[in-house]
Amino acid sequence: MPRAGASAPSPPGAAVPSGAERGAPRTGRGSGPAGRAARRVAGGARGERLAPYVLVAPAVLVLVALRLWPLVLGVNFSFTGDGARDGTAVGLDNYRELWRDPLFRSALRNTGTLVLLLPVAVAIPGLLATFIHLRVPGHRFYRGVYFFPAVLSPVIAGAIFNLLLAYDGPLNRALEGAGLGAVDWLGDPDVALFTVVGVHVWATFGMALVVFLAGFAALDTSLLDAAKVDGASFPATLRHVIVPGLSRTIQFVFVTTMIGMLTSMFGLLYVMTGGGPEGATHLPEFYIWIQQGQMDRPALAAAASTVLFLLMLVVGLAQIGLLRRSGREH
Amino acid sequence: MGRAGRRLAAVPMALLALATVYPLLFTANVAGKTRREYVLDRFSPTGSPHAENLVTAWTGVGMARYAVNSLLVVVCAVALLLLLGSMAGFALSHLRFRGSGALFLGCLAALFVPFQVIMVPLVRIMADGGLVDTYPGLVLAYVAQFLPFTIFLMTSYYASVPRELVDAARIDGNTLYGVHRRVMLPLGAPALLSVGILDALFCWNDVLIALLVMPSPEHRTLMVGVTSLRGQYAQDVPVFAAGVLIAAVPVLLLHLFFQRQIADGVTAGATKG
Repeated sequence: MPRAGASAPSPPGAAVPSGAERGAPRTGRGSGPAGRAARRVAGGARGERLAPYVLVAPAVLVLVALRLWPLVLGVNFSFTGDGARDGTAVGLDNYRELWRDPLFRSALRNTGTLVLLLPVAVAIPGLLATFIHLRVPGHRFYRGVYFFPAVLSPVIAGAIFNLLLAYDGPLNRALEGAGLGAVDWLGDPDVALFTVVGVHVWATFGMALVVFLAGFAALDTSLLDAAKVDGASFPATLRHVIVPGLSRTIQFVFVTTMIGMLTSMFGLLYVMTGGGPEGATHLPEFYIWIQQGQMDRPALAAAASTVLFLLMLVVGLAQIGLLRRSGREH
Repeated sequence: MGRAGRRLAAVPMALLALATVYPLLFTANVAGKTRREYVLDRFSPTGSPHAENLVTAWTGVGMARYAVNSLLVVVCAVALLLLLGSMAGFALSHLRFRGSGALFLGCLAALFVPFQVIMVPLVRIMADGGLVDTYPGLVLAYVAQFLPFTIFLMTSYYASVPRELVDAARIDGNTLYGVHRRVMLPLGAPALLSVGILDALFCWNDVLIALLVMPSPEHRTLMVGVTSLRGQYAQDVPVFAAGVLIAAVPVLLLHLFFQRQIADGVTAGATKG
């Protein structure tokens, strides 16, 4: 979760009534105590009728000007040129250039690798939450300790691991002590992406753990007790009781972890690898930053943003679809 | 899982707890060494930790300045977020008005639109408004970024406030603004605390938005300062470690005192869905 722009809470929930569905006192006209009260209020009914709009106006203003407008502008912008061609329509040129750029392709390929690593990043906090829920000795202590990296900035986590993963740092020393060779954690193109993902998981698994524990708290314990009485093995309990019982939580963690991986690795990449070595840790978000901040190619960056937006859209729709389906099941 | 199984599971869990804590302890230990001690032996615990590195990082490098920048921006952003979020949350949860459904759905959709998607045009818009490289500019950028999350959680919290309380306050002669100030703000205190702490963490920990919106060196926030420290003090690792430690301490304190509120905020999104 939560990291700049990343930690998205849940999608439209059935439990959350929007204003329109909720019966609210109708101001000005109508009967009932609210209506009478409104008439008594100084300023009269018109001020009261406008009140909801006044209450939401500042929020709407900020969101339209700084979220919605840039989104519209950005898609538009991605069809214009950079530099000498600034402001002129260039059709799909930026997208063609993206497709030809080995760095962007590498960023997309790395995104694919992240998707493949997703189940691991979800399973780790899931299993840990299971152990904590089953009251492994010291579970209270672990709960507190595991969560603390989650509050650290990716910049801090990255800086700390820069020290730890240095070629002559503690991790390699431990490996050498165990008779294994040292690894160039951040300099080897075959290893660097996995290293960065590992640090990302280190820094975020506490968030997912807390979500899983909340899921467990809402789980029907009688099923778990029944499994215990029946003498079911741990793997069987996991498969037949815990996973089905937590299906919505698991889906939620899947999507938030995916969003986290797509959008909150910037701090780590910026501090740890700078997208290297040889583009091995480039991700779309980092590519956008390089094109905008370093190469002065805002239109190309806008095209990359649009591609990232489409990726996010697929994730969002997938979640809504999954929730609809699980809603039908229950 | 039997008793033996539970004991077995405790082994990897203890190792993981060690892996969680050790990196920070190592950093703290390095920060306590002199440069010479670090070059000779970076691993052994320092017998007598030195505070010089912390002092160098705080005063000499300018972490103090960066910390003030961060604090200023975060406090203003969180105050605005809570005010706008609770106003909109009250309207969305208890009042009937045209466009409320669209606004709520818009906030939900915005949760799926990450900053990277809008950052290029956003910087242009802010440059046109003269907001780039100003404190109000960064505050506004943070408010825009985290407002949908804030509105979403405040709306779902206020939805659990009984309608009768709102009606009663109105019979007592309150305007809707009065209801917001005298009923919703006090009743919403637990949610405001929880959301406020999360918002503060997001803003404090951000680096990308700060890099783009407030790029000049004297406007660096603490996290941007840490990244610049890395280049400057590549040779003097203990000072670098001290800077990292300084930047980490405030959030670690927040975690220590508000662990429950943070967890509540994180899980509210999951369980309300």
